[in-house]
Amino acid sequence: MDQLLSVLIPAALIVGALGAWRRVRLWRQGRPAAVNLLQGMLRMPRRYLVDLHHVVARDRYIAHTHVATAGGFVAAMALAIVVHVLGVENVVMAGLLGLAGLTMLVGTLFVARRRLEPPARLSKGAWQRLPKSLMAFSLGMLLVSLPLGGLVPEGAASVLTTLVLGVLVGWGLLELVVGMGWGGPMKHAFAGAAHLAFHRRPERFSDVSGEGRHPGSRSTALLPLDLDSEQAPGSEQSMGVARPDEFGWQQLLGFDACVQCGRCEAACPAHAAGQPLNPKKLIQDMVIGMAGGSDAHYAGTPYTGQTTGEHGGAPGERIVPQLVEPETLWSCTTCRACVEECPMMIEHVDAIVDMRRFLTLEDGATPEKGAVALDNLIATDNPGGFDNASRLDWAADLELPRIRERPEGVDVLLWLGDGAFDMRNQRTLRSLVTVMRAAGVDFAVVGEEERDSGDLARRLGDEATFQQLARQNIATLSQYRFARIVTCDPHSFHVLGREYPDFGGHYRVLHHSGLLAELIDEQRLQLAPAASGSSLTWHDPCYLGRYNGEFEAPRRVLRALGMEVREMARSGHRSRCCGGGGGAALTDVPGKQRISDMRMGDARDTGAEVVAVGCPQCTAMLEGVVEPGPQVLDLAELVARALVVSEHNSSTLREPQEEVPA
Amino acid sequence: MAYETLLKPIQIGNLTIRNRVVSTAHAEVCATEGGMTTDRYVRYYEEKAKGGCGLCICGGSSPVSIDSPQQWWSSVSIATDEIVPHFRNLSEAVHRHGGKIMIQITHMGRRSRWDGFNWPHLLSPSGIREPVHRATCKTIEEEEIHRVIDDFAQAARRVKEGGLDGIELSAVHQHLIDQFWSPRVNKRTDQWGGSFENRMRFGMEVLKAVRAEVGDDFCVGMRICGDEFHPDGLGHEDMKQIAAWYDATGMLDFFGVVGSGCDTHDTLANVIPNMSYPPEPFLHLAGGIREVVSVPVIHAQNIKDPTQANRILEGGHVDLVGMTRAHIADPHLIAKIKAGEPDRIRQCVGANYCIDRQYQGLDVLCIQNAATSREYMGLPHEIERSDGPPRRVVVVGGGPGGMEAARVAAERGHSVTLFEIEPQLGGQITIAARAPSRDQIAGITRWYEMELARLGVDLKLGTRADDAMIRDLQPNVVILANGGNSFTDQVPEWGATDGLAVSSWDILRGTVEPGRNVLVYDTTCEFAGMSVADYLASHGAQVEIVTDDTKPGVAVGGTTFPTYYRSLYEKSVVMTGDLGLQKVYREGESLVALLENEYTGEQEERVIDQVVIENGVRPDETLYYALKPRSRNHGQLDLEAFYAARPQPCLAHDEGDYALFRIGDCVSPRNTHAAIYDALRLCKDL
Repeated sequence: MDQLLSVLIPAALIVGALGAWRRVRLWRQGRPAAVNLLQGMLRMPRRYLVDLHHVVARDRYIAHTHVATAGGFVAAMALAIVVHVLGVENVVMAGLLGLAGLTMLVGTLFVARRRLEPPARLSKGAWQRLPKSLMAFSLGMLLVSLPLGGLVPEGAASVLTTLVLGVLVGWGLLELVVGMGWGGPMKHAFAGAAHLAFHRRPERFSDVSGEGRHPGSRSTALLPLDLDSEQAPGSEQSMGVARPDEFGWQQLLGFDACVQCGRCEAACPAHAAGQPLNPKKLIQDMVIGMAGGSDAHYAGTPYTGQTTGEHGGAPGERIVPQLVEPETLWSCTTCRACVEECPMMIEHVDAIVDMRRFLTLEDGATPEKGAVALDNLIATDNPGGFDNASRLDWAADLELPRIRERPEGVDVLLWLGDGAFDMRNQRTLRSLVTVMRAAGVDFAVVGEEERDSGDLARRLGDEATFQQLARQNIATLSQYRFARIVTCDPHSFHVLGREYPDFGGHYRVLHHSGLLAELIDEQRLQLAPAASGSSLTWHDPCYLGRYNGEFEAPRRVLRALGMEVREMARSGHRSRCCGGGGGAALTDVPGKQRISDMRMGDARDTGAEVVAVGCPQCTAMLEGVVEPGPQVLDLAELVARALVVSEHNSSTLREPQEEVPA
Repeated sequence: MAYETLLKPIQIGNLTIRNRVVSTAHAEVCATEGGMTTDRYVRYYEEKAKGGCGLCICGGSSPVSIDSPQQWWSSVSIATDEIVPHFRNLSEAVHRHGGKIMIQITHMGRRSRWDGFNWPHLLSPSGIREPVHRATCKTIEEEEIHRVIDDFAQAARRVKEGGLDGIELSAVHQHLIDQFWSPRVNKRTDQWGGSFENRMRFGMEVLKAVRAEVGDDFCVGMRICGDEFHPDGLGHEDMKQIAAWYDATGMLDFFGVVGSGCDTHDTLANVIPNMSYPPEPFLHLAGGIREVVSVPVIHAQNIKDPTQANRILEGGHVDLVGMTRAHIADPHLIAKIKAGEPDRIRQCVGANYCIDRQYQGLDVLCIQNAATSREYMGLPHEIERSDGPPRRVVVVGGGPGGMEAARVAAERGHSVTLFEIEPQLGGQITIAARAPSRDQIAGITRWYEMELARLGVDLKLGTRADDAMIRDLQPNVVILANGGNSFTDQVPEWGATDGLAVSSWDILRGTVEPGRNVLVYDTTCEFAGMSVADYLASHGAQVEIVTDDTKPGVAVGGTTFPTYYRSLYEKSVVMTGDLGLQKVYREGESLVALLENEYTGEQEERVIDQVVIENGVRPDETLYYALKPRSRNHGQLDLEAFYAARPQPCLAHDEGDYALFRIGDCVSPRNTHAAIYDALRLCKDL
């Protein structure tokens, strides 16, 4: 038996390594990017144990199972090499090996249990085989350790049992070691580890979060496209990604790490709405494209309305529509729920935007009203096609100070955003102005010179228009002095704060929830207590919450209003998108229901009278839901309503005496 | 963005107006006898500003001189410096809400009354009598011309000192400036009459003096008419010439244009078009003026709907729209648009209750919104939710009073049940809307239907409520607004109970077919008699309308009787005054009506086939007396509290039996406004 293992294990390792090399070559088809190999490998374990664990641990069952199974496997494998290949055979080693095998076996039983009635989000197929392979290996290792440890007399094994054991261990090695390199479920261990080591966004990990392009952030800013080099004449490279081999090699590596756990699928609002997008399938399609082949073997939930087996791809072939239909890419709201959930740290949104970039910039294939909005942005600097000089029309009676009239500078530059052209959002802006005035905030607006932040253009893949808008806005802002920018639009908040730095615009940007929380903390607002028993629920905007980690400030403001804050089933970092991000409201891919309806259903379920929002897009989407339902009010409106109005603002009532002149 | 053009700010002179909507100059009829603004005046305009109106031009026809009396319609006088601090209150109140306010200044010349107050000799270019006010006047002398020009300048100074944003010179409605313009009334041969330039001279000298006084950075506009509609008056081409003449001075910042002259009863009706007119009937005249001037043009007249207003502006016909009556009906018009609730706007129906009261020297009120111009009394345009206990409120009657009671009670947060015997809401409004050109009055009901649905009022339509049914609901408050019946049986000899005469309601409702040869006997001389005569005539009947009063329609206001008369004369309806109906009897196939002259006692007969009686409403008191004994307040209103719009003392608690109130025509017949006012002042504190 010992001899058999001393051959089997090295053989498996060698074959596995060959497979791994092949895998690496598949990844390297992608666009090159330099990485520090050694540093990456050294950082990997900590990233695995700390950062990754935070994500994995959200599903406690599988987290514990994985610790036992993977931990048991790594230990058993290492010990098996020591014992059987290096020949260090003693009772202690045998005991440890047995223990490792046993631990793994226990974990395996839980894996198997979950696979008996797997949740819909899990892929089946080869993954259904995995618990058996794990069991074969762990049982094999456990049994092999018994005679070594003296629990069973040496030589007790008959040829038959040796053969059976050999088959068990061999099967296990084939799946776990060879399969790790050559493909199959265990590929995730190799690719996953490498992905952790060489992730394209190292800032996502705690070890380097203070460094990199976006220090201290959740690394949610889209990476700029180098338009100059990629537009070079004769360049074979597309702008954005047309073919699988045009992704960065680290992105391909990331796709390959997918474990098809389907957490993304369960979190995806577009999928839930019955639109043809399933982030898990999308990542698998990218793997198919990278390796070449068809999606016939995909054993998870397909894109709604499509059947598997009809699409396929190859590294050098166009992705759309052979491998992925355009509707799939345009269904995404860029809400990052998938990225947030992914235990393998895969960047779905980056991939989707990369592919959209090609469709928009080279194919001119932005669908529906998306194309109109982009045309408008080019012509008028705002997506609605409004005369940009009318951005302050709504405030004609507010006499807002203009920043150009304040050369000495102001504390707050109020960034209006494109909600300034929308009658609904104008109410929010008015409320915000009322509150800022009541608190004596020193503020001014850019006014007519303000352009759209470029968020919409960028998410729709029009990087050129985005960069143009960004540069123009940065040039405008560079003329003025202000301590910080405040906006009630989380998209502007994100883009100005997180994406402009790549173009030289470095600002301190606050979402208005942050400012309101600050004003309340500093007791600069006199607020009347809310009517007792009134309740509300806070809808976390994706670009405020998941993108920028601000979950607390709005809740602090709402609590200060004295209303009961009820949480929706999906809230905080797991908040469900309103359906309006990423241009999805414009590309308008049909589904079976509307994302906003589902979200309003979440709100309705809390029984709250008001759903508090902090984003013009969310307001529009949620208010578009058929009544009855909770009232949709922006945070600023709620605070403005609670303001104790001074006598000055309403004339005093006098006795009705007409002869007394007034 | 919807209403984008309507909400687009505009620059007038140096003034930025936040949107394109103007409450144009009209008489408010609530200044003091001395011509000072009141709290009521200020609050009326403050409400419009609060509601988002862009520009208010207050003080229609506010005189600059003491020999242009203003007391008749309690207008502001700008003839003394006393007004300045009052203006400061006014401008402050409007500016506080982001609004702008100007005032119309004028000398009325001959267009007034001389028989009161200072008993002045009225002035006019050539001493020609004015028919609408039955006013005689003297021929103005050179010295007086210069005094009045100086009065204009001094008045402009007072407006500016008072902090208002501008002035509008009135050269419309045949005031002194356009009396000089018009060869009909200007027969002078000196430098103030004759040639075009001479006729323009007075207005030009006024404009120069005013501009010299206020300087360049103060808004000065002029309101003119687009066509006097008199064969010998100023036509549209004349008005274009005049507008261009003044515009060329560069001294004007805007023009206001009113279609039609105004110094006969018939043309007066054009100026404030009632519901019989199409939308914006005179827009083309304003558009014509806009073609020849270089400054913004404001136009009012039957622009009531924000979509209509937006369309007019998008079409580029004018630069600003006057929505004056629209704001009297709902001063929060703009706020409701901006709140995304344009369907909640209480839209003017053109009943002209406001302006018809003004022409009688009565305060301007709205037929359907009892809070307008009563802001100073604490009557609210937006009803606040009660913080007291929720109550069960039963309202009986779905006419204007009942609908308002149900609306206000529901806004207060109470649970409201409304019984209406007819299958639809509206009460007498529904009947009134059946007459030719009167259909728009149903807009009152339409708004209530939408509001009551929004507020979740439990409507029990087609249900005759009785006391048991009401008590089963265990109400805290019962409000009866169940009106009454057509009062045809006041005089048995009219024969109504014998089937010899039918009521105006029978005809308008369509329950009785119109006859071929019909006598309408109308004792009230209000809308109902005119409407039923018009209805009959338009269905082919030969109609005579007879009253024992001086003339049929004599109680209908000045902007509406002309449109009735146009319609009735056109259909050869005979209108006869001073005859009382003594008796109706059958003779063969026909009916005979015996009429007696009020003054001579002489009798005459009419042989007809139908007699229609309009004698107002007889209150239905049955339900009231059935409910009264058990009510905790014995059905009595505390009048002191009621008139002061304070809470009814019996509503301080909810113990014991229901409180019972009755409002509107079920007490005694009055009108739509009265019923709605009763409901609002009773229910606002419920």
